[in-house]
Amino acid sequence: MTAPVDSTSGSTPAAGSADAQKPNSEARTGQPPPPTATPTSTTSKPAKAANGATKPPGKAKGGAVEGGEETLTGAELKKRAKAEKAARRAKEKLEREQAGGGGGGGGGDSAGAGGAGAAGTGQTAPPSAKKGGQAMGAKEAAAIGLQKGQKQAAPRRGSAQVVQQGGGVVEPKKKKEDKKVAVFGHLYGQQRRTTIAGAAKEVHPAVLALGLQMRDYVICGSNARCVATLLAFKRVIESYTTPLGTSLARHLTTHLSHQITYLSTCRPLSISQGNAIRALKLHISSVDPSVPEAAAKASLCDFIDSFIREKITVADQVIATSAAQKIQDGDVIVTFAGSSIVKQTLLTAYKQGKKFRVSIIDSRPLFEGKNLARVLAKAGLDVQYSLVHGISHAIKDATKVFLGAHAMTSNGRLYSRVGTALVAMSAKERAGGVEIPVIVCCETVKFTDRVALDSIVVNEIADADELVTAEPLAQVTGLMDKAASQPEASTTAKKGNNKPAAPSPLTESHAGMRSTASASPLKDWRDTPNLQLLNLMYDATPAEYVDMVVTEMGSLPPSAVPIVHRMSTNS
Amino acid sequence: MPATSAPLTPGLASFLKSLKTNPIDTSIDNLISLLKRRQIRHSRSCATATAYLLLRVISFCRTTDANKLIERVQSVGRRLMAAQPREMVVGNIVRRVLGLIRDEAEDDRDAEFALSDAGSESQPQTPRVLEDPSTPQDRDFLSVRHEGSERSSSRPPLTSHSTNPAPISMFSLLSGPEAESSLPGSPVPGSPSGRVTGHGSVRDIRAEVLDGIGEIIDELGQVDDQIAAYALDHIHSNEVILTHTSSTTVQKFLLKAAAKRKFTVIHAESYPNNHDATHATVSGTVSDEDDNLSFESFQKPLIALGITVILIPDSAVFALMSRVNKVILGTHSVLANGGLVAAAGTRVIARAAKVHQTPVVVVSGVYKLSPVYPFDFDSLIEYGDASNVIGYEDGDLVDQIDVQNPLYDYVPAELIDLYITNLGGHAPSYLYRIVSDHYRKEDISF
Repeated sequence: MTAPVDSTSGSTPAAGSADAQKPNSEARTGQPPPPTATPTSTTSKPAKAANGATKPPGKAKGGAVEGGEETLTGAELKKRAKAEKAARRAKEKLEREQAGGGGGGGGGDSAGAGGAGAAGTGQTAPPSAKKGGQAMGAKEAAAIGLQKGQKQAAPRRGSAQVVQQGGGVVEPKKKKEDKKVAVFGHLYGQQRRTTIAGAAKEVHPAVLALGLQMRDYVICGSNARCVATLLAFKRVIESYTTPLGTSLARHLTTHLSHQITYLSTCRPLSISQGNAIRALKLHISSVDPSVPEAAAKASLCDFIDSFIREKITVADQVIATSAAQKIQDGDVIVTFAGSSIVKQTLLTAYKQGKKFRVSIIDSRPLFEGKNLARVLAKAGLDVQYSLVHGISHAIKDATKVFLGAHAMTSNGRLYSRVGTALVAMSAKERAGGVEIPVIVCCETVKFTDRVALDSIVVNEIADADELVTAEPLAQVTGLMDKAASQPEASTTAKKGNNKPAAPSPLTESHAGMRSTASASPLKDWRDTPNLQLLNLMYDATPAEYVDMVVTEMGSLPPSAVPIVHRMSTNS
Repeated sequence: MPATSAPLTPGLASFLKSLKTNPIDTSIDNLISLLKRRQIRHSRSCATATAYLLLRVISFCRTTDANKLIERVQSVGRRLMAAQPREMVVGNIVRRVLGLIRDEAEDDRDAEFALSDAGSESQPQTPRVLEDPSTPQDRDFLSVRHEGSERSSSRPPLTSHSTNPAPISMFSLLSGPEAESSLPGSPVPGSPSGRVTGHGSVRDIRAEVLDGIGEIIDELGQVDDQIAAYALDHIHSNEVILTHTSSTTVQKFLLKAAAKRKFTVIHAESYPNNHDATHATVSGTVSDEDDNLSFESFQKPLIALGITVILIPDSAVFALMSRVNKVILGTHSVLANGGLVAAAGTRVIARAAKVHQTPVVVVSGVYKLSPVYPFDFDSLIEYGDASNVIGYEDGDLVDQIDVQNPLYDYVPAELIDLYITNLGGHAPSYLYRIVSDHYRKEDISF
């Protein structure tokens, strides 16, 4: 479950926080499944599952009983009914949101969980199975609802929680409410998914893994995410069979939508991912229904391959070559964080025998530049490394600034890792010095027709716990704590009493989380009133700070972005 | 004031404690090594240590001649400044003490002012802003300054009025307060003026100088509160204020305003050199081992007063700047041209504020105001421990790449809109005037 350790240095803090969170979420979402979870008879129809999920709570009760609990007092039943009602509403809301955000995704993931649960009890007893699945799905959705922490759902949410946790640890969760920075209220959609539990059953294992990798920043960076998504989708398409009665062009899009919805719950999709998915969907819908399925699938896979090749692999090579021409002997290149295309550019220039120095500026909490520094230093480049606080020192003797991009907006702004704007600004505002050219390397697949004036309206907010520095030594104890809490949790769960099982692992994991970050004064920030942490992912650099955008279609000023975007999407 | 419990780590508290017992040369060496080892950092700690040391130096300097006294202070000052040239407050305090001595010497030479006996100085000093006039208005100034004591000791001046040569006055004074010097044998650091009586017996000029140093020390203790008094003039309701580092001056400034008004504070965490202190300040948990914090009296965090504090990484400053109404910064030292040397990262913040037309306010005590004109900015910048940037877990990288960890930034004056000192608010272009008020020309480069 823990992210596979990758060369991406950014994964370390992320993994730390993910570890800290995991027991938490497992306690909430992971524990209920044991009685029902023996999956893989995937014949149960998704439609059925979705139906089951929206059925009245009365039947859900039966499902829960089926899930283990034999005797319930009337009050408990009432509470449960209430909880499930709340959960259902939260889930419906979630589905709606996902449908909006994830590019028309169909059934929500929690419905899919219901399906998975139903599969567990098998086809022999369809009604009860349906109910069981539904109960589980509802519970899961309740958990998601909790994570989302919607304001209007607060009272209902509270009651659901009381049932779930036996009224134990309501306090810290409630505090989450005001942990949202007011200005960015619109960006706190749903919290990132913490487990694969509750993912729609249509979601392909490759996509499941990819989602978690993206969440943990194992796969990080606009290009990497785009390529990984496309490759995963290729596998989805390869293992896809068109159900009877539908056509591939119609059904595959909805099938992909499940994958996309799942991915977007792990981490909001990048612009490049969105563009790639749009192109893929366009291609799918243009598949002729008369073409046999195998041929259609082959053509789709070809399309994906050629998309990756044309838009990213070859594009990167073209950009690297043309950007490397801008580097001269004796240059001091400043770059920010770890852009793959900038890395390629610098390596290309180095291979061409150019002698220059690289100054990498890095930032918390991802430290992506560390990875870049390591690669460049291994290749033999002269690398200098400092953090954001050293920008003005690094820029002092710089001659050029190379920046990567997450996206280029249609008004010419560069939307990139937070801190990029500071670097570009410093390059342009050097006191009494000559302005330093700022060169952005960006594939056209990252161009978007959206516009942005500031970094507030459109942005992504990552988990603020990533900012709480965890000591590596203390993390060991935290992990051990979690391990200790695990068996206890399962024993309580085995008693068949799902709901009261939740609090103990939760408190345990909470303690584990504390010991993880014991060194930091921020460890209790969620319990500290009025204190908020903000972990932005991107910022928008004004167009006037960017001198040149190097793309595979040539080097342009930022004002040319919308034109090129139109050209590349129309062709 | 020094901590009551003996601190284990050498620092300001341990230095002040040892100052009482150690011989003066040991104390000087002690401070020099503390400065060199960076065991005393932070402007105020350096300033306080220097002031107390000079107090000690002067009170132990058995000389009658002002010039010798100046030479002595200069030689000590040179050594201290050489120990840590980038702690400009050390030089500032030395210069101010030199200025004090010169003032007193001139007064003395003019012989307008009759020498009052030092014993009457034991009354506590009225806390007031030190306004050393650049042109000493001999009698007027001093009579104002010691108005309280003048009344009681109005008799002696009349008798000693004719005895203008210095040696005579010294002999006449020796008889009186000599006995007193044994009374506060080990002066209590709690009241600087108590010390003045202890050792200011040899010669009046020294008593005055010690008195002046006492006032400097008083000023160091009160400067934050004096600056904070201006807070309500500068912060209005519902403002969004961005700040950086865990400066106590800024915190007190904001706290003062928070008592009356509601606003939001965005706090950049100043990773990697000051983030722990910043986190502690923001969340109100004080780490005991921090010398600086134990020196400061414990204060409530802003969040306890209902102020919303948003902690952000430094990189998000630009993204948020469009929402910020005012940037309030602390500083390490202020230079004569209105520029400042502040914690690394300040410059980009000030720059981002300028780009967004957000006013930048710097709060700083006058003692941080240095007469040094920065011809070479790089010489002002100190570089810190690289392991803060790349930890030991990435040790393989350290061999291959050049890791930089600058501690300070030079921020040019044009990025600053307003300075708030304990004397009030000033435009950066006005600072030269305050410099010339506080330091004498002949001391600027000694």
